This record gives sequence, structure tokens and C-alpha cells, in this order.
Amino acid sequence: MKPRLQIISAEHRSAASPVVLDVEKVSKRFATNGSGNITVLQNISFTVRRGEFICIVGRSGCGKSTLLNILAGFMPPSAGAVRLNGRPAGHPGPDRCVVFQEDALFAWLTVKENIAFGLKGHAMTRREKEREVDRFLSLVGLTDFADYLPAEISGGMKQRVSLARVLILRPEILLMDEPFAALDAQTREEMQDLLLRLWSELSHTIVFVTHDVGEAALLADRVLLFDRAPGRIKEEIRIALPRPRQKEDDGYYALCRSITAKIKAL
Amino acid sequence: MIRRIVVMTQPHRLLNWLLPGIFLLAWLVVCETGLAPPYLLPHPKDVLATASSYLFGDAGQAAYAGRFFEDLTASATRVLLGFGLAVIAGIPLGVLSGRLALVNRLLSTTINALRAVPGISWLPLAMVWFGIGIKTTVFLVALAAFFPIYLNAEDGARQVSPTLLQAGAMMGVRRLRGTFAILLPAAMPSIITGLRLGMGISWAYLVLGELTGVPNGLGALIMDARMLGRIDIIVVGIILIALIGRLCDVGLHYALRLSFKSARRIP
Repeated sequence: MKPRLQIISAEHRSAASPVVLDVEKVSKRFATNGSGNITVLQNISFTVRRGEFICIVGRSGCGKSTLLNILAGFMPPSAGAVRLNGRPAGHPGPDRCVVFQEDALFAWLTVKENIAFGLKGHAMTRREKEREVDRFLSLVGLTDFADYLPAEISGGMKQRVSLARVLILRPEILLMDEPFAALDAQTREEMQDLLLRLWSELSHTIVFVTHDVGEAALLADRVLLFDRAPGRIKEEIRIALPRPRQKEDDGYYALCRSITAKIKAL
Repeated sequence: MIRRIVVMTQPHRLLNWLLPGIFLLAWLVVCETGLAPPYLLPHPKDVLATASSYLFGDAGQAAYAGRFFEDLTASATRVLLGFGLAVIAGIPLGVLSGRLALVNRLLSTTINALRAVPGISWLPLAMVWFGIGIKTTVFLVALAAFFPIYLNAEDGARQVSPTLLQAGAMMGVRRLRGTFAILLPAAMPSIITGLRLGMGISWAYLVLGELTGVPNGLGALIMDARMLGRIDIIVVGIILIALIGRLCDVGLHYALRLSFKSARRIP
């Protein structure tokens, strides 16, 4: 299987690329103990175009993760629809892959076996699978750790494995739920660099949930700012800063400050 | 994997035998000083002689001589049959009950009530149902081993992180494959605990089951010896059951590690 390598730089990802994900008026209510319903998400609508990097930013408890779970198909919305390439997105599947915040690797499988897990049942020969796994091992820089168990590698390495095991399935859209929140500052920066590099190489479409404004300003093409509970999209911020972005840059600082101010005003 | 083997160096291995060594020494001291008379606790060298006659002697040479392998075969068959039945029922029911609220509702009250009944209370009923012989023992062993196996499988299955199952679902794993590829491996540490407890209890209930007048087996040996006042044979029986029980535990662990990656690589 030839890798669908397609290098699209930020300038070429125009508004003309097709819509991959279409979220229409999604609401989510949960039943509470006895006292009726609590609305977590209210009337969320947005679209994501192919190759776009979207960050969802908001305070904790604003329903960001719930939205991601709905997008992934782990839970149905109470109202509204999620469409992937125009078709209703139902059950979870390899077209919408998630990188979880916590460690969700299979502890009894080695790094290599974890990455190969989703390929079982794919119409590929064993050698093709091995080649793919090796390619993704090297893409995330874990070639030397192929035979280690998750318990034997660091938190940053675990998230690299989590990334590789879903990228190898070539999802239509990559959903990331605060994937670097549990990492130390330095590892987090390394992971952000890695993610941006993989994104420019493999041109994935990414929806990335975070509460870290700096992270959003560094990564995103567009930021969806969530209002406090019930979660609604308060504002959509298009980030025009040229890539690669530098944290020392004045424009970057100004952007972070303005987004932070907006969050405080919620 | 090499790193883990290196940890088990020689001094650690010797530590396993420290407590048995101390017991043996205390036993020797108690007998040599006459603190315990032989009719209460026979001397180790007498027990050793009895054991060697029981294990390797020719039948008819002395009472109990050379009966060991017959007893072992009989007892091991009963334990393995009973334990096997407990595994066949306990693991699937436990896993189902841990994952499906409906099954849990259906089973938990009954099983937890039955669990409160001491195994020995079943003995008279089992004898009425199955008569004297292998069936009663197998029934008691299966019944006793079932509970720890079931409860640990249930607990293990319940505690599997939903994130792992979600991760499987998003990677295209459907329910049945998910059960074998994710749920069971993730619950494996608990399942192994249940199996080991169940195996231990199997040997305990074997003796109980063999108290009922079966002609052979290690439990029968002990009961027979009690009636004849042969304390040395009782001690030999106890030590043999302890050794065989330990061997079974090691064997079980080894077999599981051989067959399942998830048993081999417990974090």
C-alpha cells in the first residue's frame, strides 16, 4: 500500500478544500440523580475542512471532552447531527481516531504490537504490515523502543505510541483530547513540534481539545472558544500567524494575551 | 525481557526456603529435647522413613507402603476435574457479570448467598446426591473453587478501563474480538489471582471430599491414618499436599504465562 503522502503547506490549505466534518446543532443533555437534566452542550455547529487544524479551547467543565466523545461516536448527541464526508457518523471506527489524554495503550502488548493493533484484519500481507509499522515507528522516533512494554517507557513516549497507532490507520480526522496535558513542559513542547511535523508531512485533519491557550495559539488554524457550561461556541478565532510559529514572537504573545482575556471575560 | 530475569538472583531464591528451614529446625528441636512426645509429634527422621516407604516402598511391605502414586493419581484427577469445571463456569460467568449489568443483577444475589454457605455443609447433601466416591469430591471441589474464580473474573472485567474498550472500538474492533483481544487480556491479572486462589481451595476441599470413605487419595490417607493413630502418616500427608499444592500453583502460573501474552507481561 503506497503511503498517501501529500504535502500541503499552510498557504495551500485554502477555504476551497472540502468539508470533512460537519457538526450541526449538536446538543447533549445528561440525566442527573433525580433532579432532571443538565445541559452540557448547546447548539454546537461548525465545519472542519480537509487538512485543517482546529483547537477547541475553554475552561474545564465546558463540555469540550463531551463534544469530542460525540464526534468519536462514543456517545450519541441528544440533538443535532455529526456528518463525516456528508454521511452521518455513527459508531466509532478507524475513520475518526482519538488520542486520549490518559494512557490508553494495551499494557500487555509491546510498542510495536500496539502500533500494529489496528491493522489486524486489514487486507495487507504480513510484510506490508511490518513495513508500515516500522515506518510509523520511525516517524514518531521510537524505532529503538519497538520491543518495550508501555510500562517501561516514559509518558511522552506513550503518547507517541498513541499517535502512531492511530495515524497508521489513516483516519479521515484525528481527534485529540488534551493529549499533552499530563506531560511536563519540555516533553509537551517536543510533542507539539512532533505533531506539527507529522501534520505537515501527512496532512491530517485535526480537532484538538485543550485548555492551554498557548498550545492552541501555537498549533491551530482556527480556535473555537467555548463558553462556560452549558458549552456553546462563544467565538471563532482565525489564526493567521505564519508557520512555523515561534513562542518568542510578539504576534504570538499578543494573540495569547487576547485569547486569555476573552476566556477570563466568560 | 532480560532485565527482569536478572533481578531474580540467587539470594532471593534462597529466601523462599528460609521459613520452611526454620520450621524444620524448630520441629527438630522440639522432638530432640522431648518437648513434644512422639505420639503428638513424631521425629522428622521417622516421618522421613515413613514418607520414603509410602513413596517408594513395595506394596505389602508395610502398611501404606508404595501407595503414593495411586493416591496421587486419584486425588489429582479429582482436583483437576473439579477445578476444570469451576474454570469453565467461573470465568465466562464472572466476565459477563462484570460487564453486563443485567447478568450481574441476575447472578449476584444468588452467588453471594451461596458463597456464605460453608463448603462442609454441602457434604451431606453431596453424599445423598452423588453417593460415596469421585462425584462427591469433584462436586465439592468445583463448588469451592468456583467462587474465587468467578469473583475475581468479575472484578477484573468490571475494572477494565472504558478507555481501552473505546480505543479498541475506534480501531475497528467489534465486540467479540474486543472481548478476546482487549477485555480478557486487560482483566488477566485478576483472573490469574482467581485461578490461583481457586487452585489452592481445590486441594483443601479435596481432603474434605475424601473424608467420606473413598478408598484412595491423599485426603483418604490422612483420615485413615487418624483412625489408626498413625500420626507420622498424617504428617507425611500434610507435607505432600503442601508440596503438591505449591507445585500446582507454580505449574498453573507457568502454563498461563506460556499460553497468554497478557499473563507473561503483567505490568
